[in-house]
Amino acid sequence: MQKVIERILNLLAFLLTAERPVTADEIRTTVAGYQQAGDDAWRRMFERDKDLLRRLGIPLELRPTDAWEVEHGYVVPADDYALPDPGLTDEERAALWLAAQVVRIGGQPPGPDALFKLGGAPLTASGEPLAADLGTQADDLAEAFAAVSERRTLRFGYRGTPRTLLPYGLVHRRGHWYVVGPEKRAQDTIKAFRLDRTEGLAATGTSESFTRPEGFRAADAIPEAPWQAGEEDVVATVHFDAAMAWWARRQLTAGATVTENDDGSLEATITVANPEAFIGWILAFDDHAVILSPPELRERLLARVGAA
Amino acid sequence: MTSPKTARRLNRILGMLPWVIANPGATVDEVCERFGYSRGQLLADLDLVFVCGLPGYGPGDLMVAYVDEDEVVVEMADYFAAPLRLTPPEALSLLASGMALVSSGQAPPALERAVDKLTAIVLPDGGDALSVDLSEPAFVGELRRAAADGTVVRIVYTALAGAQTTTRDIEPWAVFSTMGNWYVSAHCRLAAAERLFRIDRIRSVTPTEERFTPPANPPPPIVAYTPSDSDVQAVIALGPRARWVVDYYPVEILSEDPVRDEVTVRFSTSDASVAARLLLRLGDNARLVAGEEVGEKLSELRRRIRARYAR
Repeated sequence: MQKVIERILNLLAFLLTAERPVTADEIRTTVAGYQQAGDDAWRRMFERDKDLLRRLGIPLELRPTDAWEVEHGYVVPADDYALPDPGLTDEERAALWLAAQVVRIGGQPPGPDALFKLGGAPLTASGEPLAADLGTQADDLAEAFAAVSERRTLRFGYRGTPRTLLPYGLVHRRGHWYVVGPEKRAQDTIKAFRLDRTEGLAATGTSESFTRPEGFRAADAIPEAPWQAGEEDVVATVHFDAAMAWWARRQLTAGATVTENDDGSLEATITVANPEAFIGWILAFDDHAVILSPPELRERLLARVGAA
Repeated sequence: MTSPKTARRLNRILGMLPWVIANPGATVDEVCERFGYSRGQLLADLDLVFVCGLPGYGPGDLMVAYVDEDEVVVEMADYFAAPLRLTPPEALSLLASGMALVSSGQAPPALERAVDKLTAIVLPDGGDALSVDLSEPAFVGELRRAAADGTVVRIVYTALAGAQTTTRDIEPWAVFSTMGNWYVSAHCRLAAAERLFRIDRIRSVTPTEERFTPPANPPPPIVAYTPSDSDVQAVIALGPRARWVVDYYPVEILSEDPVRDEVTVRFSTSDASVAARLLLRLGDNARLVAGEEVGEKLSELRRRIRARYAR
């Protein structure tokens, strides 16, 4: 391990100070730690070292060494290597660390590697219980987040259809992650796709390939209730029995009009953009909720219920 | 591939060097505490840095790193003066968990400031591009406090199955959120057993005077299904639009039919109405292949709903 780290520190020091693309041959003959290796061993070693650099987040690019582009060499652009100083205090660093221990993504708490990049902090080992889990698809999430922060297009399949998205943002709401933005072929409409329903998600193309509209807020693209996410526009009236009125009240959003009857039951007028999701929600009340109107929505519910 | 241990050690060196360069005069103890080093580990890493540097690799080319009267000294290493940028998973992990805690109202002011500062460097052109909402329903705060100080609480609870409402005294162990729902794990005195309650189905929480001693090893706060002999079983075929069930319920996959694009699963539950209600919700996207008790429940549920609409 010692030899590997020495070699990589030497390689990195060389690349960071070279200020020009350096060819693999030059690295082999110049950087301490590579000279003794034979051809095959050198190639394997160098591949492994490049892989390690990239895993740590070190940008390693291949660029032509001259205008004729005959030869290519490696560059670590200093601006992309360095983390701009966020100006965090020790207290703020410790708060970030604690949050990452309590709220997890993908089950495992993160190691302190990210915190060391931010300058470390006196850490207290935390015995806090797991308070929240933001889902298990850590790989897809990281890929989507990279695309959002680098402004690269995102390709994936969704319900069997291939999509190319300009990922303006990433939102976690009601237990699900959504990637938000317009499709490349129709850039006027902002859409939200549930990350756990995407297939083969991958960032493609170059960075900074789109600009977010001024004042864009990713959270606005995700409706408050599932039945608000859709293309239709139906105004439904629903009766909720007194026994379940409390549960209905908790889930009805600001847009609904609710009147309470003398017996404690509710009549609610609700705007529905996604009737399928709405029917699913109403069915969770068993026979304690009835759609009063419109008749078409009643029929759709009964069709879903099927014959007894 | 190089071992993760090597990567972590290198990452720590590349984090430690910029901080020591920016904070001359830092003591060994300070650096150790900040970067989780033992004294021996730090000295080993400094020795390693000392033999690295620029081509030529003589005095004047190598970095200088040593301890002088308990102060850590690093010189001739200006190319490592800037800390390394965060990888996307690292940035996401810190930001998302920070934002989640801020949205829950549980965050200290320091965390809010930290999230703002970090957002400014990770998403310089779009601070609102990432949003994490982990807002808490009513009673989460009360239950968390009761779990922390060992207070027995009386809850009124409606487990939706059958809409039966019960009043029970519980000893709350842990409050947590997963898949968008909040739960409290507890010892339920009514059931005389460990139970998990969905907090949005709790109608009221009243602290009692009584205290309890929390178990030495409480079960992990996860929504786990514990099979038992009295479980009801059903075999269900899921169409493409019902496939998500596989990820959300503890089912056993029996077979996959690529032609019909169906997956057939065994669904075990302590209460047949859970499976029946799910089938009702799925409509045409799923069908019950086997499971008499679930089938009866489903028919009964359909009859009740149809009767209600026939009124």
